[in-house]
Amino acid sequence: MTENTTTMVATEATMSLVGISKYYSGVAALMDVSFDVRPGEVHALLGENGAGKSTLMNVASGTTQPDTGTITISGQTLEELTPSLASSLGIAIVHQHPAVLPDLTVAENIRLAVPSRFLDGTGSRREAMQAMLDDVGSSAHLEDRVGSLSIAQKHLLELAKALVMKPKVLILDEPTAPLGQDSVQLLFDRVRTAAAAGTAIVYITHRLAEVRELADRVTVLRDGKYRGTMEVAAITDDELLTLIVGRQLESTFPPKHHSTEGTGTYLSIARLTGPGFADISVQAQTGEIVGVAGVVGNGQSDLMAALAGLAKFEGSITVHSQERSAKDLRERAAYMPADRHREGLMMTLSVRENAAVVALQRFVRSFFMSSKEEVSTVGRELTELSVKAPNMDANVASLSGGNQQKVVMARALLSEPALVVADEPTQGVDVGARAEIYRILREVAEDGTPVVVNSSDAKELEGLCDRVIVMSRGRVVAELVGEEVTEARIVAAAVSATAHGSADAQQVKTTTRRSTRLSRFLQGDYSPVAILAIVMLALGAYVFSQNDRYLTAFNTTAIQGLVAALGFIAMGQTIALMTGGIDLSVGPLSGFLVVIASFFIGVDSAFGQIALGFILMLLAAVITGGLNGFLIRYGRFTPVAATLAVYIGLQGLSYVLRDGPEGIINADVMALIKTKVGPIPVAFIALVIFAFLLEGALRYTRWGLTLRAVGSDEEAARRVGVHVNRTVLLAYLSVSLCVFLGAILLMAQIGIGDPSQGANFTLTSITAVVLGGTSLLGGRGTFIGTLLGAGLIIQVLNATTFLGLDQWSTYFFQGILIVIAAIVYSQVRGRRAVV
Amino acid sequence: MAIDTATDVPATAVASRAGLWARTPRGLITVTAAVVLLFAFSAILAPSSVTKGPLLGMLPFAAVLAIVSLGQTLVVQQGGIDLSVPGAVSLTVVIATHQAAGDDARLLPAVLMALAVLLVAGAVNGFVIGRLGLNPIIATLGMNALLYAVVLWLSGGIPRQTTDLLANIAAGLTFGIPNAVFFAIVATVVVTLAVKRTVSGRRFEAIGANPVAAWAAGLRVRRHRTGAYMWAMVLYWLGGCLLAGILNKPTAYQGDSYLLPSVAAVVLGGTSLLGGRGFPVATALAALFLSQLDSFVLALGVSFAARTLVEAFALAIGVALYTVDWKGLRTRFLGSGKASAAPPGAPAAGP
Repeated sequence: MTENTTTMVATEATMSLVGISKYYSGVAALMDVSFDVRPGEVHALLGENGAGKSTLMNVASGTTQPDTGTITISGQTLEELTPSLASSLGIAIVHQHPAVLPDLTVAENIRLAVPSRFLDGTGSRREAMQAMLDDVGSSAHLEDRVGSLSIAQKHLLELAKALVMKPKVLILDEPTAPLGQDSVQLLFDRVRTAAAAGTAIVYITHRLAEVRELADRVTVLRDGKYRGTMEVAAITDDELLTLIVGRQLESTFPPKHHSTEGTGTYLSIARLTGPGFADISVQAQTGEIVGVAGVVGNGQSDLMAALAGLAKFEGSITVHSQERSAKDLRERAAYMPADRHREGLMMTLSVRENAAVVALQRFVRSFFMSSKEEVSTVGRELTELSVKAPNMDANVASLSGGNQQKVVMARALLSEPALVVADEPTQGVDVGARAEIYRILREVAEDGTPVVVNSSDAKELEGLCDRVIVMSRGRVVAELVGEEVTEARIVAAAVSATAHGSADAQQVKTTTRRSTRLSRFLQGDYSPVAILAIVMLALGAYVFSQNDRYLTAFNTTAIQGLVAALGFIAMGQTIALMTGGIDLSVGPLSGFLVVIASFFIGVDSAFGQIALGFILMLLAAVITGGLNGFLIRYGRFTPVAATLAVYIGLQGLSYVLRDGPEGIINADVMALIKTKVGPIPVAFIALVIFAFLLEGALRYTRWGLTLRAVGSDEEAARRVGVHVNRTVLLAYLSVSLCVFLGAILLMAQIGIGDPSQGANFTLTSITAVVLGGTSLLGGRGTFIGTLLGAGLIIQVLNATTFLGLDQWSTYFFQGILIVIAAIVYSQVRGRRAVV
Repeated sequence: MAIDTATDVPATAVASRAGLWARTPRGLITVTAAVVLLFAFSAILAPSSVTKGPLLGMLPFAAVLAIVSLGQTLVVQQGGIDLSVPGAVSLTVVIATHQAAGDDARLLPAVLMALAVLLVAGAVNGFVIGRLGLNPIIATLGMNALLYAVVLWLSGGIPRQTTDLLANIAAGLTFGIPNAVFFAIVATVVVTLAVKRTVSGRRFEAIGANPVAAWAAGLRVRRHRTGAYMWAMVLYWLGGCLLAGILNKPTAYQGDSYLLPSVAAVVLGGTSLLGGRGFPVATALAALFLSQLDSFVLALGVSFAARTLVEAFALAIGVALYTVDWKGLRTRFLGSGKASAAPPGAPAAGP
């Protein structure tokens, strides 16, 4: 290795960044940082959290634009680097949080991120994609929805996407954090192979051991400043550490508990069984910190959730000789989740509010809460934990990872817990804060509150814990006490237990979701289509049995005509919902367009005037769509707020143009629009064809992939090179164009410019889309379902007249339909509330 | 992404509070300023709109909108949106007029019956959203249709004369001020105290800000969420009762005109549609703002159409005040003059 590096000093750098600075609202994330990486070398980037490593690499991959500095790739100095330009120049990045789209399948994720030329080889594309997965040792199925994969599998997918492009520069951002030991070895092998093939590799990490094992050179950042670059072989761990933290760390871990006989057990877990783990037993002496170890994904996190009372379990948990139920634990155990942003903190609230939220009862004086009491108590605790923040009203999102974790700890301690459950307490936390977190956990245990710590870092458990259980496949395979608690013993126990078949380790988690053909269909996008078809047939048969005029040509034609207008508008709404947004303005827009038409497409209008009318309608639609998209993307309005403002504005414009129903529409034009082929209106046929075309586009074109990608996970979509702004803007333009088509049909139905018409289509179109099974969360949906949804609504409204029901019943059926449909779909797909 | 902005901060700073000005919600400041400006404009441009008659005409409706918007605020705080406002208000109005049938003695049972129906509706909303995980838009859209089914079933769509007692309570004056205003003030104070100064209220805000984290911290997410929809219904009920008394002959569709303005008032008040912190006082002031805006534009002699347009603009500007990164824009545009020499790769447009 060393010999290699010396010969490479002369080689030109594949990528070099010079004098990069980046400020976020005046705060420097990077200051004049330079970095380069040569072909065939592994260059490690080291530093504490917040040191600027990830920002620097985001600059290198085009996701972040630097304020100053130059980027040179293969000798070419770039003006501006975008994610798509970066990937075309051969820069691939594997993010710490995988940039994968949960609602898309594995194959779709690959197609979206990997240019097709990398998939065109000897075999079919499917084979190429399968080979990619096999190459990194992933066991995922190409048709699996990525949302259902484990974190490790997502990372492997991410790595596969990067490797297949044979990148010139491969950036790995803390790649081993979520991986188990076996996957780590596999990853290292792949990295070495890639480097041997001449790829320049940037390896971001927290772990010195990995630098030693893998890297040729290492660059250290601290507080956004460059600290130096050196050959790995020429520097000691202590020297590196000094560069990283800027001070000599004397001891990272507090002294361990000195067990004195007869203090008794303060925590006893007996035969605990629950989802993901089985038959766990362990007893801790008073003052001991219990560690949970093992290859990631072997039930450790499930066990932690159960200890925190967040999951059901059998067996018993006894704290201070008092047995605790899951319900007790949820209230009395303090849980420090691994995913702080999702499960730990209310990011929009202040430090004080976050810290106090569980302990509020303590501050009640007479009936209301005492703010004075709260401020002094919370302030004392935060000071105790030396949380660094400008003041306690600062937004918790503005704090660094380590300080955020301390806020979580402050909350835990303020709640005076019976048990502290810490899941990966130091993940994403800098070295300095780590030592303080260890100290605090130790103090809590010494004070008599049991502490259980899960960590994927065996070294951390060795330093912190007095007793460690090692888990594999959801069971305890070893319990280490006192002197036995060493990294070597822990790793040995974890690895040897899984030695025969590492896939087995995943079994506990994956068995439950092994999909059958039926379950895949039920959870897929097309089950609502089948359900709707059955409901419509049954309803039709029933109404026909009650009234034989139901199926006359006159009625079916009328129904189809009505479906066509609603259908086109609902198609548009489907597009908006697919992006995870909503367009409330579709109803008023359709009405407004008809009002415009009533001025130009009048009874005596000449051809030119009529043509102008259509052009103006189209123009108004385009402007509306553009405005919606602009407000949402560039004005940062929520879709509801943006389209609500446009909704009100369009209604106002309609009334500006027409006080009441006026301006009869040209009869010839109306007749043309209402043309029929036999009993079937041409417009209806057009709608059906339109729906199928959109459906095809959604599945097989880049437009459809990007649309769903943005709705599924905007950030991840951006990182795989999707132009999010453009996609959303285009989506809202498409919505308005669909409304334009619907408005033409509506015009033929109303026959007059009436400013009060149209607004109802907003809610009806949403109802149609929901009946069709499109998710309001974005990313998933089907136009065919929307088509049937629109059909069902019109059919129901029509049926009430044939069944001789009153007006109230139409409301009743609309209401009951949408609620039942939504409940059925959510239950069938097993998609319950997040909590 | 986690930039350590706090490295230079002394460790003891965290025990201190931010200044009073910094702690005053931006929404409250903005809305107060907007209301003051609007009344100043009204006095200058359309003095007739701030005379006794128009004010007494406007205030009761402003009060109803304020109360309804407070309910909407609670739902929005939980990251939801309540589309069942029209149905709930209309149903209250219809029950209060049709069931009481002009008889003062039957008024109390009638309004209590309305409250009971609305509470059931709120509980159902809460159940399907909180427990079954339905999207709030869908659930409340369906609930609105169901409530309207009851409205039409009870009334057949026919308006009915309101009861004298209710008219006296809701439309009467005390110390020269419409009674409805007192109801709105009390409702605002109660909601503010409940949300900001009680344990449940503080938990309520935390749950709205991040339900997953709140659940992991041991809070009862479903109960608070369901509570939002039920308490919102209580406020719609109060608004509906007042409306039934203010109007001489309320129609069956009286609630329709409260859905969009209630959302507009919440947004103008600075409560995020994504959930979290709520600003009841700002919401109530925003309702006053919207109502006075109506009456101001009316006094200028402009048609209904222009009023709607002005409302749309007010809403858009109101949202933009909170969402657009004005500081960033200012530095970009003001800075662009001297920074034209700045290296390429200037920050791209916002996300």
